[in-house]
Amino acid sequence: MDNNKKVKVIPCSGIGKVFGLMAREAALETVIELCPEKSETVCLAYLVTGEKEAKEKIEGCDCITVDGCPKMCAAKNVSLSGGIVIEEIKVLDTVKEHKGKQFGSPTQLNADGEIVVNEIAAKIAKIINEKN
Amino acid sequence: MSELKVGILSCSGEECLGGTISRLATRKVLEELKFVDTVTLCLPLYLAGGKEERNFARVFPTISVDGCNKLCAKKSTEKYSGKINSSVDVSEIIGIENALNTKTLRNKDLTEEHFQMVEKVAGEIVKAISRISPDAYSGKTFRGCGCGDK
Repeated sequence: MDNNKKVKVIPCSGIGKVFGLMAREAALETVIELCPEKSETVCLAYLVTGEKEAKEKIEGCDCITVDGCPKMCAAKNVSLSGGIVIEEIKVLDTVKEHKGKQFGSPTQLNADGEIVVNEIAAKIAKIINEKN
Repeated sequence: MSELKVGILSCSGEECLGGTISRLATRKVLEELKFVDTVTLCLPLYLAGGKEERNFARVFPTISVDGCNKLCAKKSTEKYSGKINSSVDVSEIIGIENALNTKTLRNKDLTEEHFQMVEKVAGEIVKAISRISPDAYSGKTFRGCGCGDK
C-alpha cells in the first residue's frame, strides 16, 4: 500500500504515567504486528516541531490518535498538523474495564498492562480493517 | 527552601529505536538519579497544554534527549519554551543505524543489547547534568513544577 494511504496511528507516548506507555505500546503493536500493510506511525515529537516536512507526512491523511490522559496531546497535535483524525482512542476507556488492576510503571508494563495494550491494539486494528 | 531541579525532555519518537531508547534512558535517570532532583514534561504539551507547560525551560535548566538527528525535543523546546542547557543525541551514542532501526520499537522486544544502550545513554544524560554550569540555575524558580508554582 502507498505510504500516503496507510492510516497513521499516532500515540502520545506520555512519559509521566503508565497510560502514556500503554498508548505507545498499543500503537506500535498495531503498526508492527497487526496491520503493518495498512498502517504506520509518525513521531509525534516531529509534528510538535511544526516543520513543513513533518506536517507533510500527515496532512490530509487518515489518522488514529491514542492518548493516555485527558489532555489529548496526540489528538490535538495531529489536528494542528493537518491530519484527519478519524478516531480518538482514549486508553482510559479500556482501563476502566479493568477496575482495581495495576498495569506497571511509565517504564515497564506488567502482564495486566500487556493485556490492556493488546485489547487497545485490537480495537485500533478493527477500525483500520473496517476502513480498508 | 528552594529545590534545585533539572528538566529532562525526551523526544520519545515512535518511528525508530532511538526514540524508544531516549524514552527509557530518560525514565531511568528520572527514577534512579540521586544527586539532583529531576523533572520531565510530555513534549506534545507545548502545543496541547498551556502557558505553564511552555514555561518549562524558563523554570528549569533543561536537557533534551533526542533519538535521532532531527533533534525534535531540542528544536521544540527552543521554539516554544526557552533555551536548553544541553542536548543528548542518542544516534551519536548508539550509532545511526541502530537509532534508525524501525523494527524493534516495543519494550517487550528489547534485548540485553538494547538495555545496554539505555544504560549508555542514561550515563550521557547524567554527564550532561553534571556539566550544567551553576550560572544556568540563575533566574530559575525551582518551585517544583513547570508552572512555577507549587
